[in-house]
Amino acid sequence: MKLLRHIFLFGSLGTLAMACGAGGDDQGTEYAPNMYHSVAYEPYTQITDPEAGAWLTSIEYSESEMPGHAEFYNSNTLNAAVMNVNMNMRTPPANTVPRNKQGWLPYRLPKDSLEIGAKRKSPLDSTAQVLADGKVLYESYCQHCHGAKGAGDGKVADKYAGIANLKGDAYKNITEGHIFHVITHGKGLMWAHGSQISPEDRWKIAKYVKALQK
Amino acid sequence: MTLDSRFALLAPKTDARPDMTKLNLIAASKLGLLSLLLSLVCSIAVAQDIPTDAASISAGEALFTANCKTCHKVHQKLVGPALADVYNRAPSIDWIKSFIKNSQAVIASGDAYAVKLYNEYNKTQMTAFTSFKDEQIMQLLAYIKAETDKGPEVAAVPVAGAPAAGGDSTGIPSSYLNAIVIGLVLILVLLVVILGFLVSALKRFLDTKELSDDDREQVDSPITLNSIVKSSGFTFIVVFLVGAIGFKALINGLYSIGVQQGYAPKQPIAFSHKIHAGQYEIECKYCHTGVLKGKSATIPSVNICMNCHNQIKEGALYGTAELSKITEAYEKNIPVQWVRIHNLPDLAYFNHAQHVNVGGIECQTCHGPIQEMEVVQQYSLLTMGWCIDCHRKTDVNAKGNAYYDKLVELHNKSSKSAMKVEDIGGLECAKCHY
Repeated sequence: MKLLRHIFLFGSLGTLAMACGAGGDDQGTEYAPNMYHSVAYEPYTQITDPEAGAWLTSIEYSESEMPGHAEFYNSNTLNAAVMNVNMNMRTPPANTVPRNKQGWLPYRLPKDSLEIGAKRKSPLDSTAQVLADGKVLYESYCQHCHGAKGAGDGKVADKYAGIANLKGDAYKNITEGHIFHVITHGKGLMWAHGSQISPEDRWKIAKYVKALQK
Repeated sequence: MTLDSRFALLAPKTDARPDMTKLNLIAASKLGLLSLLLSLVCSIAVAQDIPTDAASISAGEALFTANCKTCHKVHQKLVGPALADVYNRAPSIDWIKSFIKNSQAVIASGDAYAVKLYNEYNKTQMTAFTSFKDEQIMQLLAYIKAETDKGPEVAAVPVAGAPAAGGDSTGIPSSYLNAIVIGLVLILVLLVVILGFLVSALKRFLDTKELSDDDREQVDSPITLNSIVKSSGFTFIVVFLVGAIGFKALINGLYSIGVQQGYAPKQPIAFSHKIHAGQYEIECKYCHTGVLKGKSATIPSVNICMNCHNQIKEGALYGTAELSKITEAYEKNIPVQWVRIHNLPDLAYFNHAQHVNVGGIECQTCHGPIQEMEVVQQYSLLTMGWCIDCHRKTDVNAKGNAYYDKLVELHNKSSKSAMKVEDIGGLECAKCHY
């Protein structure tokens, strides 16, 4: 019977250990939690419980600066007052201007200045590399609506009415500046894509769309 | 005769009050007569001008498909109005021509009908088709007229008993599997019956023989549940099974500590990758814009959802229940708090741009068949062994990347096989742990 008891122990230990795995809403058991959780802010994850990790921490946090905080807490409460959420991202300081790798200033023409925007010339040359990059970008950001050949027949066009046929007569003569402006701000039924695509990539897509239209 | 002209005649009369002067009456009837004449002329013009030959209709159809169909249908309102009967409805054929060529100018000129249309359709501007020639517009109208005369299509009734889409396309169909299982069970039952016959046959045979008392007892002892449970064979089987299963469960359980494979948390909005990435073939990068540029692939902000869901308000699975959450978040300017699924421990560094942009690794290599997942779960182990294994097997994507030229040259001097990630320091501790 001693053997039987051992067997029983094995069985129950096994069942217990199975509960360590992850699945559904359960992240599973952590092996070394104080090496897992970032003390600095980490994208898309925050530990909002100030007490988290108190049971294993050896660091003594100053009561005046961080009252009641334990090791795992890494939540940014700076946005809580504004939006009622703890968001890691912070608004840029006032009066600062973002510059990209090429040193370009942000595109500041407002949405209704399409005519002025259409006159702007592309800063890129029509090299094979630019066109190849443009193709990849077009496939990522445009194809599912405007279609592989630009005929407005992408898969999403079944659901989203009013997708422009870039090969249609109305769009034959649009300039690269026009395309850049419309990607940035949207036009008609298309919404703004400026937040998703960098200015340089927008010019590349414009070059590729002009090549598609030929 | 069109309906409009009759109304034009009637309208002044119904409006006329008893105290109306004769002058007014005359003016009104003149106006009515004029509009009657005008619409007569118009309808004659319509009848004469819109071509009815097959060539014009097919040319019109081609023009319509290329330029109009994204916003207009003949019998149904889409972005713009349904076009059926437009040649009778609009003020004149010339009006239609100028509106198609430059609708904005017509609206700006203060044309009452155009302004009414513009306001009715949420001030959506129609694209200006300046390059259209008059005869092309007539061909378009020919097509629209032909379609109008045909009448709206009757919605196709789905064929009953049509094979359901989806399901397992590979592997054995489940009906076959069931048949196999039932067959096996039947065979086993048959075996038990045969064994039972054998036992009784043997017993009858032994009954005829002379046996010692001990043996006699053995033969006569009935087969009961108790005798089975107490037999040593049974104990061995039970002990072995419980022990083996328990041991395996224990080892598996211990190995799963700190591994979040299978983690599939409930998200604040029931977003389906199967519909977006699978059915509509939207590229991963369209939403996860950071994947080529930074450490994190990024989860899209609400404005990216709204690029499509400003119009698509009803989902295939949950109707408006889930999609209204996006609209609400957008209107209130509150971020959706998605739950992060892939939580690499802080002790290891991983960068998406290095793997996807430079290495050219497909998203599915690590994230599995995302385009088939209704609810996303962590597909890969994300353990160190898993990383190392891939770094040992994968060739460096050095083609067209000048950064690797020298390394490839050096590698080729000492080895004949392709340059793997481990050959350029892909197994060094400090590559990922620092």
